[in-house]
Amino acid sequence: MTNRIHPVLIAFTILIYLFLLGPLIIIFGASLSDTTYLTFPPQGLSLRWFENIWEISAFRRTIVTSLQMAILGTSIALLIGIPAAYALNRYRIALPGWLSTLFVLPILVPEIVIGFSLLRSVTVQAGIPVWYALLIGHTLLVIPYVIRVVSASLASFDFSIEEAAVSLGSHPAKTFFTIVLPNIRSGVIAAFILSFITSINDVSVSLFLTGPGISTLPIQLLAHMEQFFDPTIASVSVVLMLLTIIVMIIVERTLGLAIVAK
Amino acid sequence: MKRIAGWMLASPATLAITLLLVLPVAATIGMTFGPSDGGPWGIVQPYANFFDSAFQRRVLWRTFEVAGWVTVISLAAGLVTAYVVARCPPWMKSTLVVLAVFPLLTGVVVRSFAWLVLLGRQGMINEFLLWTGMIEAPLSMLYTPGAVIVAMVYIFVPLMVLVLVGVLENIPEDLLQASSSLGAGPVASFVQVTLPLAVPGLIVGAVLVFTASFTSYATPHLLGGSRQMMMGTFLQQRAMVAFDWPGAAVVAAIMLAVIVATVLVMTRLARRLNPMAT
Amino acid sequence: MMPRLKSLTLSSLSTLALLAAAPAGATTFTISWWGFNGDKLQDIIVNPFQEMCDCEVVFETGNNGDRVNRLQMRSGAGVDVIYLTDSYSQAAIEQGLFQPIDRAQIPNIDQLYDLAQAPQGEFGPAYTVGRIGLVYDSARVSPPITSWNDLWREDLAGMISLPNITTTSGPMVVLRAGAHAGVNAFEDADAAFGALAELVPNVVTNYNTGSEMINLFSTGEIAVSMTQDFTLNPLRAAVPTIEWAQLEDGEIAVLNTLNIPVGSENVELAHQFINFVLSAEIQQQLAEQGVDAPVNTMVDLTPEQASAWTYGADQIASLHRIDYSQLNPARTQWLDRWNETFGM
Repeated sequence: MTNRIHPVLIAFTILIYLFLLGPLIIIFGASLSDTTYLTFPPQGLSLRWFENIWEISAFRRTIVTSLQMAILGTSIALLIGIPAAYALNRYRIALPGWLSTLFVLPILVPEIVIGFSLLRSVTVQAGIPVWYALLIGHTLLVIPYVIRVVSASLASFDFSIEEAAVSLGSHPAKTFFTIVLPNIRSGVIAAFILSFITSINDVSVSLFLTGPGISTLPIQLLAHMEQFFDPTIASVSVVLMLLTIIVMIIVERTLGLAIVAK
Repeated sequence: MKRIAGWMLASPATLAITLLLVLPVAATIGMTFGPSDGGPWGIVQPYANFFDSAFQRRVLWRTFEVAGWVTVISLAAGLVTAYVVARCPPWMKSTLVVLAVFPLLTGVVVRSFAWLVLLGRQGMINEFLLWTGMIEAPLSMLYTPGAVIVAMVYIFVPLMVLVLVGVLENIPEDLLQASSSLGAGPVASFVQVTLPLAVPGLIVGAVLVFTASFTSYATPHLLGGSRQMMMGTFLQQRAMVAFDWPGAAVVAAIMLAVIVATVLVMTRLARRLNPMAT
Repeated sequence: MMPRLKSLTLSSLSTLALLAAAPAGATTFTISWWGFNGDKLQDIIVNPFQEMCDCEVVFETGNNGDRVNRLQMRSGAGVDVIYLTDSYSQAAIEQGLFQPIDRAQIPNIDQLYDLAQAPQGEFGPAYTVGRIGLVYDSARVSPPITSWNDLWREDLAGMISLPNITTTSGPMVVLRAGAHAGVNAFEDADAAFGALAELVPNVVTNYNTGSEMINLFSTGEIAVSMTQDFTLNPLRAAVPTIEWAQLEDGEIAVLNTLNIPVGSENVELAHQFINFVLSAEIQQQLAEQGVDAPVNTMVDLTPEQASAWTYGADQIASLHRIDYSQLNPARTQWLDRWNETFGM
């Protein structure tokens, strides 16, 4: 079956891949430029724009905020999402059907609508401080991913093993941690990674929830782009890409990449 | 007993989504209805005002146009690519899948920025065209609908490829062999066997791309600017710059309605067109 | 398999602990400004002030309207001192977002030109005075621009960026369009927007911040723009052939003010900060390095240094002032028409 692909189709596919990867390579090249404006190919090589990331305090601060949101938000989402996914699979008959629909709402409702609504209710009406409002937004954003991915791995879990353990006198909570959790380990890690990446790249929710002194990296990138058109943006982009590559290698080593494609 | 245990475990997530998503969004939509004596259209007067403005109609229509083109182009490009990738030998397939996943994991801001560099008046594309002598003066490509469409296609093709590779791989090999042993050429096999089986996947991909491009903010903001406003950028302008929250809420409600309608109609269609369904 | 999960959990937990340990102790002092000229302001104002106050300075950046709206959403809290153009500080004062300034805590106010001392009653002083005019790239535009009416020239097709209506200078575009059509835009908005519609083919995109406009020049997207004069020096640094147009039909004055929002948590520091920014020493540095025109009478500039600025009592007196009580309400009404003119 692998033979007989029309050469035109192959050529087209190669073009598509050039289209997909070319711009990223250009960003990489531009980040190494020693000029104060963006050019490709770079006229001289320098790492000064990478140093610049750390010299601009706004980038330092927003990188920390972005990591806080991604790690804390995802952790909270896991804490409330895993039990929900477990309940959905274990007690499916006992729970109403609309519950699983409710759990995908944060994906269905446009992010920018969520951001605007949270701004009105959480920031303005409830007066919740900026940092917590951002955390709420990011947690909400990733809950559906957690529930979906963990559900998918629970779907292939044989609950009779758990029942056997309980009937042999093991405490249900202990059973969960010793029997169920290890079996859905890969699902939990995949959920963490997927959520982390979603959160760290989010623009539309954060756009409305940032405040004085507290912003996330993508929002800071947008602001910086309006002010300067220098290669710092390119070097931040490269750092983000390297981070992505590292995450991908970890995923590949532990689980195989097929999990992300799901 | 089971019911209680189930609810106990599901309640934190249920509460969080209800309190922090359903209620706030419902409040936003509630805000879009005016008083019943607010005008000839009664409580839907704010919507009548939206559609009364030629500019706002244009923004909505432009958003449909851009999202539509992005969906169609991504479908075509994604289908061909996925078809080739799915038929590659396994080692090559996994490499190609990784190469498609990589841009997907890179943020939208970074990927839109790349096109800002490429499409500028002193950008690479202009410099290349000037160098070849195909043009004499640099072209203005930024801040046009075309720039937004190209960048969005760039952003969504990897998603489409991944969805479709999954779909095409699941088509049973025997079906294709059967069809070719019955004398069908590759084109006929594709049109008569592969394509109908791929339709549900194509619809899923199309819905994903359409809804994401319809509601996007960063790409139209960076590449479209203030003269090519789309629903996302318009919502932001209404809410944060003009400080017109009722107006912003109407934009939000219309976006939500379009997305929900698209998802409902298309999933129903996908179910009906699925030849494998019983 | 378990150890791997465990180490993953442990490492993320330790990262968490690390991240949660925010820098404690020092006071945070929040400044809201445009983010324009950030590098120079960091050197001239922020670093010395941080040493003086033993506090950590953080920022909220964005254009005038955006920051006033955000301040209003927070009912005047979150920011200790805010930089605005007078048109927006007037709007914020009307919304009750600012507290009166205690002038006893800001002795340097006495050294300012009269016009800068109390431009808006008991509220904040102006720290610079500027003008709105036209800039163009002399390498790409000839003959030179000498009048507002030149914006309508056919040879400028696809070369202009105008300030959006939601910025300080934006409404002035409408006023000038009215003048082009021979009417007062406040009285006959139809004619003004009619003239504006004729300008559309010349406009590439409109901008929201000065920095964005400089980007548009330096990347070659535009060759003409309407702007405030504080952008001139950074503009020339980016594109040396930029000229400030000598307009026969006059320029418009803008005062940039400093104010303390009602929700400021460091009121005393905020007064200190304003006093610091108004001091002759800082004003001298800001003017010499091309950041802002001075309003402190003790500042002494060479003719060359002064050339970019509105400098000296005579020149300041010659500018047109705008009536914001008329302009601010009109701005809201003009937004939709502006969108219809440029966004179709």
